[in-house]
Amino acid sequence: MSKGNSREGQEMDSYTRTVLDKGLSRRSLLSGVAAGAVGASVLGAGGDALAAKPAADVFGKSSDGAATLSFLKKPVPVADKDVKETLTFDVVVVGAGAAGVTAALSARENGATVAVVQKAPFALSQGNSGTGINLGKSDKAGVEALCARIVADSNHRCNPALIRQWAYNSGEAVHWVIDRAKQGGSPVIDQGNLQQGAIVKFGGYNLDFVTSFFGPKPYTTGDGMRHLAITAEKAGVKFFYNMPADQLVQNASGEVTGVIGKGKDGKFIKFIARKGVIMATGDYQNNKAMSDYFIPDLKYMGRKQIGKTGDGFNMIYWAGGVIEPIGHTKMLHDFDAGPALMCDMPFLAVNREGKRFVNEIVEMSLLNNYLRDAKNAGHYSQIFDSDYMTKATGWPGRLFSPEELKNYMPDVPGPKKGVFESQINTHVADTLEELAKKLEILDTATFVASVKRYNEIVASGQDTDFGKPAKYLIPVEKPPFYGIHRRVRVSAICSGMLVDESHRALDAEGKVIKGLWVVGNLGGGFYGGVDYPLTVFGMSLGRCYTFGYLAGRQVAKL
Amino acid sequence: MRKSFFFFLMLLFAAVSVGAGAMAAQKSKPAASTPVVAMDKHAAKGVKCENCHANPKKPQPVAMDKCLTCHGDGAAVAKRTASVKPTNPHDSRHFGTEADCNSCHHQHKPSESLCADCHPSFKFKVP
Repeated sequence: MSKGNSREGQEMDSYTRTVLDKGLSRRSLLSGVAAGAVGASVLGAGGDALAAKPAADVFGKSSDGAATLSFLKKPVPVADKDVKETLTFDVVVVGAGAAGVTAALSARENGATVAVVQKAPFALSQGNSGTGINLGKSDKAGVEALCARIVADSNHRCNPALIRQWAYNSGEAVHWVIDRAKQGGSPVIDQGNLQQGAIVKFGGYNLDFVTSFFGPKPYTTGDGMRHLAITAEKAGVKFFYNMPADQLVQNASGEVTGVIGKGKDGKFIKFIARKGVIMATGDYQNNKAMSDYFIPDLKYMGRKQIGKTGDGFNMIYWAGGVIEPIGHTKMLHDFDAGPALMCDMPFLAVNREGKRFVNEIVEMSLLNNYLRDAKNAGHYSQIFDSDYMTKATGWPGRLFSPEELKNYMPDVPGPKKGVFESQINTHVADTLEELAKKLEILDTATFVASVKRYNEIVASGQDTDFGKPAKYLIPVEKPPFYGIHRRVRVSAICSGMLVDESHRALDAEGKVIKGLWVVGNLGGGFYGGVDYPLTVFGMSLGRCYTFGYLAGRQVAKL
Repeated sequence: MRKSFFFFLMLLFAAVSVGAGAMAAQKSKPAASTPVVAMDKHAAKGVKCENCHANPKKPQPVAMDKCLTCHGDGAAVAKRTASVKPTNPHDSRHFGTEADCNSCHHQHKPSESLCADCHPSFKFKVP
């Protein structure tokens, strides 16, 4: 740990200390070369001379400075003559997702002129639920208990101050998002405690939640953010779509003063930010080299999103920011193949080969860890027989009747409601062999043997293979047989750039990079475990709204 | 009318190899080792390297605008595939009508369906 890292006299927390010590920053780049050449090459001002002859590509380094990383390619400075247009705003937001659109509208409502620079042709987001705590109806001790639980969910590796930031501001922020999205025409509703049944009494304390629900599918938060963007546009926020940000602009002292975007015509536009730049470009799941480096576990796992190439990571790294070290948190789900509320029911589960592989009390959100190989690649099936409605009562979630299950069966004709039709994958069959075929299980004999073995375990009343509690042992013997073929894929990667409690990017010395805020999944410190926790359903989007709301207000008021 | 027939032909080409000179020499090889790429189809129609690359001797990546000068903009392309089932590949909730052509239609390697990984039931033939 080097000296002089403390921020404005604050005592440094263990999270920040760790990321400064082990994260990726330009400091590690310098560890192998002469330190004299810092700075100028990154600055927009010196661009003309550099752009005249194409220099060799420069790449960032691993935290120990030993490995060159292909995904950290230094942006080529843009010469002023190549800038088609220069536009000036108080605040420039990069990325129009759950955090970016929120930040932009929040800044605008607090008096700033705002531009949003977005790579895609419109606002984008994923998921349905975003959650906050209604402080007025919650016990303070309950809020603290929940924060402690979330910190534990992150294996005690997150920044607790950021968890509290969410806990104590999310109620206000989520209510605000609901109200403003409605103004844009969204059918969003507040589901309150509907999804939070397990935590409204928490450690003996009372908690009360606001849960924005942008749904049901196929309507999602993506549609929701497009509705919120309508409100933002009416309020005066200027959106620049099809405009990927190429690099940040910094002045001689390193302060971020703007963003350079690249239009569809290949020409550059410089966006000057008088007060600050808010980065909200999301994760990097579609950047293969970057994913393989930070989370090798994801090598064979499918992706749910597209275009998430981690552009913000690269831009902030080259502006002096710090990427959290290897050990990033992942989120892999499948809520779509069958009813979401049946995903954590501990029915017999088999892998692609047809083999039982786990004590099924392990939640769907963690099963990816058992299915990381190339063959399974996140695929598994939940298996039950026609007695499930009576024998699985009281299990976690809610049982869907055979009639309701038809909504999730691609082989059953007829209109589907509230689902992504191309993602449903629930099946029914009169024989196990036929079911195996429908579930695309690779080895039918193995599958049939697994069911037979499972039924023996059930009959004995003791799960001698995996130790599942006896109350969850129900046989698979009475046709028709049911199966839900789930395939967990990457919803999001939730680790990011080092920020302080005000969402300002920090440099390798732990000092604030002036003019630069980071929100949404691009921001670090909020997670730290192997997997995203599902203690609070909708926490991810709730955090994006909250931090966008806070950062937008803060920058506007400067 | 003529255009849509043209497009239909292009779809057919996805499965069938093009009979132009360069391809004829390779016909004896197994199909797997000689994938038909979109560039070949362009060539068969008389489109030359320099029609896309400013300097074919030192070819640089081609901006998507180049595709649109012949094929029309995203909205026009989407109109031509409006009846494709189960959904119009050129008008999606992910990109609207503004997807990058090169996400699926490659010129120098086999084309692919960007949709297929998440939506295996979308069996699009990608020329």
